[in-house]
Amino acid sequence: MKLENEKILEMYVNMVKIRKFEEEAMDLFAVGDIQGFVHLYIGEEAVATGACANLNEDDYITSTHRGHGHIVSKGGDIKLMMAELYGKKTGYCKGKGGSMHIADATKGILGANGIVGAGHDIAAGAGLSIKYRKTNQVCICFFGDASTNQSTFHEALNLSSIWKLPVVFVCENNGYGISLSQKNHQAIKDISDRAVAYNIPGVTVDGNDVFAVYEAVGEAVNRARKQQGPTLVECKTYRYRGHFEGDPALYRSKEELEEWLEKDPIDRMEKYLLENNIASKDKIKEISDRLDSEIQEAVSFAKESPFPDVGASVEDVYSDIVEEVK
Amino acid sequence: MSTIGIIANPASGKDIRRLVSHATVIDNNEKVNILERIILGAQSFGVDKVYIMPDSYMMGYKTQDQLNLSKELTADIEILDMIIKASPKDTERAAQIMEEKKLGCVVVLGGDGTHRLVAKYLKTVPLIGVSTGTNNAYPKMLEGTIVGVAAAVIASKSYDTHLSCRRDKIIEILKNGEFIDICLMDAVISIEQYIGSKAIWNLSNIKKIIVANCHPASIGFSAIVGVNQYIDERDDFGAALDLNCGENRFLAPVAAGKIEALSSGDLEIIEMNQSIKWEVDFKGIIAVDGEREIVFNKGDSFEFKLTRNGPIQVDVRKTMETAVVEGFFKTK
Repeated sequence: MKLENEKILEMYVNMVKIRKFEEEAMDLFAVGDIQGFVHLYIGEEAVATGACANLNEDDYITSTHRGHGHIVSKGGDIKLMMAELYGKKTGYCKGKGGSMHIADATKGILGANGIVGAGHDIAAGAGLSIKYRKTNQVCICFFGDASTNQSTFHEALNLSSIWKLPVVFVCENNGYGISLSQKNHQAIKDISDRAVAYNIPGVTVDGNDVFAVYEAVGEAVNRARKQQGPTLVECKTYRYRGHFEGDPALYRSKEELEEWLEKDPIDRMEKYLLENNIASKDKIKEISDRLDSEIQEAVSFAKESPFPDVGASVEDVYSDIVEEVK
Repeated sequence: MSTIGIIANPASGKDIRRLVSHATVIDNNEKVNILERIILGAQSFGVDKVYIMPDSYMMGYKTQDQLNLSKELTADIEILDMIIKASPKDTERAAQIMEEKKLGCVVVLGGDGTHRLVAKYLKTVPLIGVSTGTNNAYPKMLEGTIVGVAAAVIASKSYDTHLSCRRDKIIEILKNGEFIDICLMDAVISIEQYIGSKAIWNLSNIKKIIVANCHPASIGFSAIVGVNQYIDERDDFGAALDLNCGENRFLAPVAAGKIEALSSGDLEIIEMNQSIKWEVDFKGIIAVDGEREIVFNKGDSFEFKLTRNGPIQVDVRKTMETAVVEGFFKTK
């Protein structure tokens, strides 16, 4: 799969943007600026980046409680994201959803989701909609390893398979379901093994290698666009932080974390850029500085934005009945 | 007392070729089943100690538990004491330990890539390769029970093995004059830019294929060269073929379920202990035994040398025939 240098650089910028957004969110949560739960994507940046680099503007994604990386990768506006984390009126959900519910229908982002496994069926629904409307879109469904124990995973793969829906199921296998190691909650090691039961292809790739993710998801997206049905792509990765901010992650060893830090996706990409003369050290610094400014602008925007009015708490609870079903 | 070792790669059979071809999936639970059958076969014919590589799926422990539960385990199973990296380094380390322990035979479950890693370290202990990968040319599709029996025959060291075992050819790769790697079957030069998902399948990017062995009855790069001329394990030569150039046009089984029309230059024979040299004038990668591993840049120079410094491979069929002739299966 041929990749132009410009595209490679775009993927690098996206990964760094996610990392910086998350590190800022981590600090803001620590000082009490951000309320509620925050689940950070630090360490897993290559998955969302490599996967979404294959998508068009009108393609769909479904996300998880750990969704910031997905939203950024599908073109989400970090100002509106940060405002949502702050619970401000200018946020993606008018400040009423918070970190776990960011959605942007205009960009095909069908929502992060606080319910583990809820995205599977939403993705299958999006796939059915694409098939019904006969468009060339696809939907990527992001989910974690533990969510594949939920019935939604099996329902969605089954229906997507028998209806040949254009859905790419991208599993971010970070080895833990909250605090439970995968070996203690699953009789398998590779989630891709589960594809066999639904007669769809299943592959496992290094989720900390953005090229590996890009290639595998790219082939899966091609299959989906050619109406050959869904694919399960498992990306082995690791989250550096606890399940949520505030979780000291005592259930895993320091050595395990250090081993994964050595496989950091951004460090690997940076090494590739330098070795292949795609970017100089100066260029990398320039990117870093620019992204720092963007993140600070987003924080300022969020801080300066108003909170929603009290009355807004009962708005947007029920949808208006659409014209077609009146 | 006879001992065998088992190296089962938990990552084989799951790469991207399941998307770009019709490759088979072999899940890890099936590998555990194969391990059980190997041990049951081996212990029935005198193997009393089995060393197993530890892995992230804990196949060795699962096998041990299963056979203990069914009360069928008589051999002693020992999982090698080594730190798991969940990377190819595990396979290399296990092969190194098994070589040091001078086991009677080592059984490897994986694809060409897994066997290449083992071949780097297993120099004197005979090897049986069982295919659980993709597009495999080196390991064979074999029934675990029979593999276990054959391993027991070899590990007994009671029989002449000159007919049933042979030292394999390999291609030794030197970059800028320094040895860097080996391959058992094929080295492929491609204009791909990065290692990525490792497996190599985009034929239009391939410049050259260098093979130690090739056969039309195999699949992948071995078959691409093999449909032009077959070279088996006993032949003291290999070959090189420039792809996507020249007037030679042919069809070849390039991957599971995929037959493609290709073009090449003339086949170049590489004699034993001879090299072909290559000065690089573009940026790309070299895939060894089907996996992108070596990145090169313009100005690098490479040497591909054919030697017989490979592992000692067991021919399971011939081993079983020898065992019959020698009365191995007779009981009192």
